[in-house]
Amino acid sequence: MTMLRLRDLTVKFGGIVALDGVSLDINRGEILGLIGPNGAGKTTLFNCISGVIRPDAGSMIFDGRSLMFAPPHERARLGIARTFQNLQLWGSMTVQENLTVPMDALGRRNTFSDALHLPFSSYAERASSERARAILHVLELDQYARTLAADLPAGIQRRVEIGRALAGRPQLLLLDEPAAGLDAHETKHLADLLHTVRERFHVSMLLVDHDMSLVLPVSDYVYVLDFGKVLAKGAPASIQSDPKVIAAYLGEESAKEPKQNGTVVAVTRRHDAAPLLEVKQLAAGYGHLEVIRNVSLAVRQGEVVACIGANGAGKTTTLRAISGMIHPRSGRVEFNGRDITGKTAEHISREGLVHVPEGRGLFPNLSVEDTLRLVSNSLGKAPDLATAYRLFPKLKERRNQAVGTLSGGEQQMVALARAVLARPRLVMVDEMSQGLAPTVVRHLFEIIRMMRDEGIAVLIVEQFVESALDVADRAYVFEHGTIGHSGSAAELRADRKLISGSYLGGGVRASNGNGHHADPALMEVVSVKMPATLKRTLEERAEKEGRPTGAVMMELLGRVKA
Amino acid sequence: MTWSSRLTVRVLLALLAFAVLARLPAGLDIGFQFDAALAVVWGFGILSLVLLTGYVGQVSLCQATFAGVGAYAAGMMVSTYHVSYLIAIAVAVLAAFLLGVVVGLPALRLSGITLAIVTLGIALVFDRYVFQDAAFAWFTGGSAGWRVDGARMFGQQMDSSRHLMAAYTVLVALFCGVALLMVNLHESGAGRRFRAIRDSELAASTMGVNLTRYKLLAFGMSAAIAGLGGSFYPLVAGSVSPQPFWLFTSLQLAAIAVLMGVRYVPAAALGGVFMAFVPDVLTRFGHGTFRGQTYDISFDWFQIAVGVLLVVQLILLPDGVWGDLRHRVLRAAKHARLGSRAGTQAKGQETRQEEVRLA
Amino acid sequence: MATFAAYTIIGLSLGGVFALAALGIVLIYRTTGVLNFAHGAMGMFSTFVAWQIFYGIAHPFWPQWLATAIAIVVGLAFAALMGLFLDLVVFRWVRTRPPVVKAVITIGILLALQATASLIWKNNQYHLSIYVLPKDWVLNVADVPVGANSIAIIAVALGLAFGLAAYLRYTSFGRSMRAVSDSPTAASLWAVPVARVSAVSWMLGSLIAAVAGILITPFINFDTTSLTLLIIDALAAALIGGMVSLPLTVLGGFILGLLETYPTIWIQSLGFPRLVALVVILAVLIVRNPRGLTATSR
Repeated sequence: MTMLRLRDLTVKFGGIVALDGVSLDINRGEILGLIGPNGAGKTTLFNCISGVIRPDAGSMIFDGRSLMFAPPHERARLGIARTFQNLQLWGSMTVQENLTVPMDALGRRNTFSDALHLPFSSYAERASSERARAILHVLELDQYARTLAADLPAGIQRRVEIGRALAGRPQLLLLDEPAAGLDAHETKHLADLLHTVRERFHVSMLLVDHDMSLVLPVSDYVYVLDFGKVLAKGAPASIQSDPKVIAAYLGEESAKEPKQNGTVVAVTRRHDAAPLLEVKQLAAGYGHLEVIRNVSLAVRQGEVVACIGANGAGKTTTLRAISGMIHPRSGRVEFNGRDITGKTAEHISREGLVHVPEGRGLFPNLSVEDTLRLVSNSLGKAPDLATAYRLFPKLKERRNQAVGTLSGGEQQMVALARAVLARPRLVMVDEMSQGLAPTVVRHLFEIIRMMRDEGIAVLIVEQFVESALDVADRAYVFEHGTIGHSGSAAELRADRKLISGSYLGGGVRASNGNGHHADPALMEVVSVKMPATLKRTLEERAEKEGRPTGAVMMELLGRVKA
Repeated sequence: MTWSSRLTVRVLLALLAFAVLARLPAGLDIGFQFDAALAVVWGFGILSLVLLTGYVGQVSLCQATFAGVGAYAAGMMVSTYHVSYLIAIAVAVLAAFLLGVVVGLPALRLSGITLAIVTLGIALVFDRYVFQDAAFAWFTGGSAGWRVDGARMFGQQMDSSRHLMAAYTVLVALFCGVALLMVNLHESGAGRRFRAIRDSELAASTMGVNLTRYKLLAFGMSAAIAGLGGSFYPLVAGSVSPQPFWLFTSLQLAAIAVLMGVRYVPAAALGGVFMAFVPDVLTRFGHGTFRGQTYDISFDWFQIAVGVLLVVQLILLPDGVWGDLRHRVLRAAKHARLGSRAGTQAKGQETRQEEVRLA
Repeated sequence: MATFAAYTIIGLSLGGVFALAALGIVLIYRTTGVLNFAHGAMGMFSTFVAWQIFYGIAHPFWPQWLATAIAIVVGLAFAALMGLFLDLVVFRWVRTRPPVVKAVITIGILLALQATASLIWKNNQYHLSIYVLPKDWVLNVADVPVGANSIAIIAVALGLAFGLAAYLRYTSFGRSMRAVSDSPTAASLWAVPVARVSAVSWMLGSLIAAVAGILITPFINFDTTSLTLLIIDALAAALIGGMVSLPLTVLGGFILGLLETYPTIWIQSLGFPRLVALVVILAVLIVRNPRGLTATSR
């Protein structure tokens, strides 16, 4: 009944431990969700199962066979199929052809007979085509059968990828962020589709995504990863309310009293002035995916504005579209009274809009001092390094060290030091606190405050809501590629449910009840329909009671007879 | 159209092409007849690139080397072992196939420019070392090369200029046949598996396509096709020497394949004609006087043109002359069929790519 | 023993040329993402320009050393202009294309350059070499007579390598070049003038290729094809350095020079060294996928 068993999986990249002794089960007929904050190790785990990465330690047993040394096409043959977050359809072929390729590859076809159109090939072709059309019919893609995959919009391409993965009659379907780039409506559609797929094709699934409105309603069981370890596991409803999970996503509650300096903001802000940065109905994306649509926001001089929201909601893409890293598809960006939509990153940077991207945007082989001296490109003259060293004394010690060898916190300091030295009017910082210790994060947020006091406007993107709302004046909440709510930091801080709802989703499918109240334990057991869920429930119970699963089962069976 | 009726159409087209092309050079002088035969030899070379690069997406800068191996092998079989030319061709194709598989081995781990570097190295090594060094005289016939006087095939004498048309006819027949097989392959299951490797190797392997098997097969088949063309070279030219198969020929084949459209079989025919006829035409008619000024357009001009056109084309037209033409025709047809909304949406998707703007 | 030392010097001289050529390739590759297959052809062309000045124009009238100097200066100036031209006219428009496309473009440039040179200077003639130092200057190194030109090559190769390293390390523009080579995306966010860096890289690369070409003329068949074909040796040396590390590239060049020269003690074959280069390429590529060529973010 256990289809896939992962035990003590460990993956190390250089010095970083991406996965640390992760154990996970997927049962037959189950939809398993895998969630966790950015950098938790979800993608690494996914890649281990699908064959892109080989783990350094641990075991992966699929249907009794070890997966460790099986190349990807072997795994396909065993019954594992996957979709790709960045859509790897075969663009030059039609949708139907995309589906027949896995069928052929896993069947018994050979090149010679194909080239000569021998009868065997013709027969096999017809069979494949029919099966492909059947799958397309279930997925409501009949009208696209003869369309070239490259010509389809992203939402349809997603469905085609799922169809293609199903073509090889897999037992396990791995879904890699299938909701990426979809709006709320399309995501709901996808959730329904996945249920249909499970029923019609009898396939188990592993679903990895940031989007809780997809994962929680669809999954039977959920694993939560953080820092490469399993943080929690359980039914979706319990995960949603698990305080550990909430903390992992939203950040630790500030230990100190909220706003010890009082909610009274001493410095007067010029609210009547025109915004320094104005973004109007921005849309942007990558390749076929449209990640953000209709995004409008504004930042005034001397303000700190936060963008918060779940991963994949579009915060980073928005910043990239503003700073020129990617080309906006529609909309307008105005900075300092000038239209900067579609200008190059170089140009925008010189205008005084500095972007510290996710990953910090540093140069691994340059020394700290060399990196800071680069600022002369935007300043037009040599920067005043003394200022930087005064703010970040640690950097002065390490001035000749290559940036690539610094710790995460020190690297972030370099990035912020550069931001300060460039004398910008607006600084955009993306995921500053990612992977950093709380003391370091506090120091960095002090720098943000200092920047505001110097009159520099700041736009920060933060996964950790508490820290962001502590330092910000206003915030925008991103959902599904557009702005869901906005307001002052105080307002949003008070509405805690709004925030966590945005991250972890609301309204999970309630479990079945059928009116009997005789024995809660028994009821729990008989109320579930599927064997996989039954097994999970038993296991959880056993874990809670500290007994082996078998014992629990025997006891419950005994009660049934009685 | 149903599948088998498409096949019938293709076969008919191939037969028609053969009928037309076989008679075409009959009235021309011996020089142009030679060019025609050479055009088919190089046409095979470009065809091999259509398979390897166009269908499977593997870069190769040593296709002339495979042709050269075919030429030398055939010459050796005839001169040293005195076999009928048919057998010589068979051996040549096999030798080329094996070499192709060997060259394909690095391809399993490399791709893109690293593969280009390796194939460049192979072309150079064969050009300067294998084809020229005394150590390989058993294969190359030494500095004099092989001569194939008296070669016979199907009971007909094939060699030298008096029997050029006979050799040409066989060549064209083979070319049409191989072209037909390739088009069939493109539409078939195996062709789709090849194209899957080209469009997304990652997805192909995850969906069950055995990359090792198909990549090696692609390299082998491609080399065999080039070798088939090359095996006729001794018949057409009378002798074999390293010069026609040196590195620059491989580069020209690649350049012209890309210029014409490396994904399309007809491009191979066009390219072959281009490569064989243009230099000769230039040599013959490329000098004289025009309004009192003497001019002399030599082969070098041809190569300059190829180079410049390649650069220009890659900047402007990624899909080659034939490819671009085909695209426009198909897109216009799709516009008419699907209606404008889907058409413009599709058009929008095509032009958007992830790009980080640097300048 | 004396032979061995002599062969070592020759190997190092050859290696010096490879090192120079490889430096140019790595520089251009790191800052622009273009693997320049036409590098040898560019060097060849500039060398022929210098040759033309030297033997065609300056020779009968002025003293040897002056003619050589002028020829070299003109040749280098031409090289710089050619590099600039290529960047502005060709590579500016393809910055965002995949590396394979850019590399195939350089093949087109290779074909055009080689044919142009053949047109102007005729392909099959063996041209007289340019001697940076007088041909008959001979030094005694460890009791072995060694041509001064050989020493000159090694000295120039090392000198240029150090010069380039110093330039990259200590000047402001050099810093910008290093930044672009580490991460072009981040560089544009730091307002680094990526277009200018690209242009200078092409100019420098072309210059270095020209120096390599001029230096090697006494040692090989000086015709339009041989110099072009040095590309494979240069690529091998560049790959030894992983397409990333300049010092390793220079070292790789010298090692390759020795590896190609020593076998000629026993094997008299013009083509055998090419085999050595190929084996080195394969070995390096298979044994370690160089980070520079296969890393997803350059």
